[in-house]
Amino acid sequence: MRRETLLNLVIALALLAVPLAAQALDEPFAITLATKVAILALAGVGLNIALGLGGMVSLGHAAFFGIGGYMMAVLATPVQAYEPLMTWPIELAGTKSMPLIWLGAVVAGAVGALAIGALSLRTSGVYFIMITLAFGQMLYYFAISWPAYGGEDGIAIYVRNGFPGLNTLDPLHFFALAYAVLLAALWLAHRLGGSPFGLALAGARQAPARVAALGIRPYRLKLAAFVLSGAVTALAGALYADLNRFVSPSMLSWHTSGEIMVLVILGGVGRLFGPVAGAALFILLEHFLGGISEYWQLFLGLILLGIVLFARGGLIGTLAGREVPHD
Amino acid sequence: MTDPVLEVRNLHLSFGALKATDDVSLTLCPGEIHALIGPNGAGKSTLIGLIAGNLAPDAGQVLLNGRDVTAQDVAARAQAGLARSFQVSAVAPGLSVLQNVALAVQGARGGSFRLFRRALSDRALTGAAMTQIDRVGLTARRTVPAGDLAHGERRRLELAMALAQAPRAFVLDEPMAGMGPDGAREMTTLLDELRHEAPILLVEHDMDAVFRLADRISVLVSGRIIASGTVAQIRANPEVQTAYLGEERLE
Amino acid sequence: MSAMLLIEQALNGLQYGVMLFLMAAGLTLVFGVMGLINLAHGSLYMVGAFACAGVAAVTGNFWLGLAASLAAAAAAGAIVELTVIRRLYARDHLDQVLATFALILVFSEGTRWLFGSFPLYLDIPAALAGPITLPGGIEYPLYRLVLIGIGLAVAAGLFWLIGATRLGVRIRAGEADREMIAALGVDISRLYTIVFALGAALAGLAGALVGALQSVQVGMGEPVLILAFVVIVIGGIGSIKGALVGAILVGLTDTLGRFLLPVAFGTFLPPSEATSIGAALASMLIYILMAGVLVIRPGGLFGRA
Repeated sequence: MRRETLLNLVIALALLAVPLAAQALDEPFAITLATKVAILALAGVGLNIALGLGGMVSLGHAAFFGIGGYMMAVLATPVQAYEPLMTWPIELAGTKSMPLIWLGAVVAGAVGALAIGALSLRTSGVYFIMITLAFGQMLYYFAISWPAYGGEDGIAIYVRNGFPGLNTLDPLHFFALAYAVLLAALWLAHRLGGSPFGLALAGARQAPARVAALGIRPYRLKLAAFVLSGAVTALAGALYADLNRFVSPSMLSWHTSGEIMVLVILGGVGRLFGPVAGAALFILLEHFLGGISEYWQLFLGLILLGIVLFARGGLIGTLAGREVPHD
Repeated sequence: MTDPVLEVRNLHLSFGALKATDDVSLTLCPGEIHALIGPNGAGKSTLIGLIAGNLAPDAGQVLLNGRDVTAQDVAARAQAGLARSFQVSAVAPGLSVLQNVALAVQGARGGSFRLFRRALSDRALTGAAMTQIDRVGLTARRTVPAGDLAHGERRRLELAMALAQAPRAFVLDEPMAGMGPDGAREMTTLLDELRHEAPILLVEHDMDAVFRLADRISVLVSGRIIASGTVAQIRANPEVQTAYLGEERLE
Repeated sequence: MSAMLLIEQALNGLQYGVMLFLMAAGLTLVFGVMGLINLAHGSLYMVGAFACAGVAAVTGNFWLGLAASLAAAAAAGAIVELTVIRRLYARDHLDQVLATFALILVFSEGTRWLFGSFPLYLDIPAALAGPITLPGGIEYPLYRLVLIGIGLAVAAGLFWLIGATRLGVRIRAGEADREMIAALGVDISRLYTIVFALGAALAGLAGALVGALQSVQVGMGEPVLILAFVVIVIGGIGSIKGALVGAILVGLTDTLGRFLLPVAFGTFLPPSEATSIGAALASMLIYILMAGVLVIRPGGLFGRA
């Protein structure tokens, strides 16, 4: 077994072991932390499809994270208020069913990513970074000034949405759901990486002129990857909103974009389990540094600087060595 | 005479006051190697860019198999059967030799939007790729990342990728550049066989190779073709000698 | 009455625009010369505002505060360039984004540590307080008018600096070809530090000047940073002229949009709905403007592409 595969397995099992141990020790807060890791990792897996596979440095993924979160609120609040979701052109009721909410979040995230990606991918490099950042900020301001869903204050969803056969209010059940979705997304990312699509995307990232000369247009490939990426991150947003039972514009803020990117890079860009390792490290840092000092983000900043300047390749890169092409 | 596979008609391109391509016309016919030579800065790279579709001409046409492709982009021309290699190797450094060539096969056949299939368990894809890897002699290096290849190996990978496109015409930009004498000799043999698959427009500085391989030579100086003809005609052309070749290189 | 209100709003937009220009000019210079994307540029804006508020509070003199803001931001810029930024020039944009994001965390939390979480207030200097009557009888705050003047003067100074001085020649050479300036015997690393510190000083100046209109608080630089990015995308990377035109365009569009859209919606919607829809749409207007420029000219209005 390759060293990275072994490491991935260890990470996956460790993330599963923490909530089980916490349940045995009656520490429900640790289960919630593990759930948060799984959901943020899912957002990171989404970003990593754009960043790692496609080489697109998107600093606007909070847009999709937030779209997923708000989609949850849009679908669930009518039920909470005993109102229909809409009455025109057809009468449609809201829903408290997670599978339906997830579907809504994925579709909304994909549509959002299609619109933002189609415009942003007309450029590249530093323009792309600035434009994705700007469009993310646009949605942030829109959420703040649009009063229907709480505006600046956000909106609370009092009861967690349901999933057939599970008691989602039980932290362990909810963790299991988030973990299963994460594994499914990891499987998706893995298959994408090894597919003809992933190959073409890797080629377009590493040698764009060459790929065009082979008859492959990078634009549509990248756009497709960006849409998938946005959809996965939106799914994470819907789960995150359900974890907190609360949605606010801060999900759309560019700090969220930065944090999703930071955790991908902490773990290792383009590495399958990079976002999982990165999310775990991020939450651990937040938990322990946050316990030591109110200003823990100062130390986070210094640690990040150290990693960028001196330890490239992230956690997975440090532990498993350089990435090798797999046949 | 058979119809040319690739034809360039009265191409013009200026960058400001500089005429980079000045009324260039040339043809590439089935089975031939047509060499394009000229001093540095003569506009060879610009001409290749115009043919491949990276640059748009101010005037003139590019025809592939008799069809006007002047308005089409790089990818469309590649799909129409134009394979080019790059002067500075432009392979994907993080992908293996096999993956690079598989990518070229994929470009020619389509299917880059298959999302869930395993690319390298696709027999048809890897089989076609391995055939070309065998031909250029990189079989033992197929799993090595292209970025780790030696210079000469990378030139051969470039060629394998062009071959894998199953093209109607090759445009090869200095395939021997930076190769040692042995490598250049092997490459010459390889190109000699290749012409039967598709004709080659060969830009090359290695005059020995050009004189050995070319059926026809066109000489490009300051964006214009100043002479065109057989090897013997070009060797004997006094204008070419003063403009470019220099007395001693012909002896 | 309505026309006077419109002129007042247009002046507000212009004032907003020239302040955005001060931010965007530094960013675009740093990108044009060094090829670096600097997310921490907003932190330098914040440093300028805090330095001005701090010194003005102690000395009671706004102008001393303003001088301090220039010095503090330039010094912070130079220190950051020497310790962190210069290691990033050869790196890809991803590393630059991450490292400068880390710098934001360090600057923001460091400032919170030093000054606390409560906003500081910076008073407009007494000489500039109060309104002035413009030709046509429009009353307009003198301070805002002075900001417009300072912004335009700095713009003129920058054009002169780039167009007519030795430093400007070197900056332009650096934009064209990094190896060439090395060949000319210019000390590149010193040039880079100077350019970075200059950009930082402009950001700090903007922070201090705007700080007297709003409150001075941690995180104040980030919304401005993102607007400066929008300005650069509209104007074209590396172009000072593009930054000026883009900044004024963004300033006017945003200010007039917030003023006019609710009014426009009010003509066919009930007032409360018109206000909320108009405000929501106005908050998106500059991004829609940016999207429009991207569709028509992906390289920006004055970009090279």
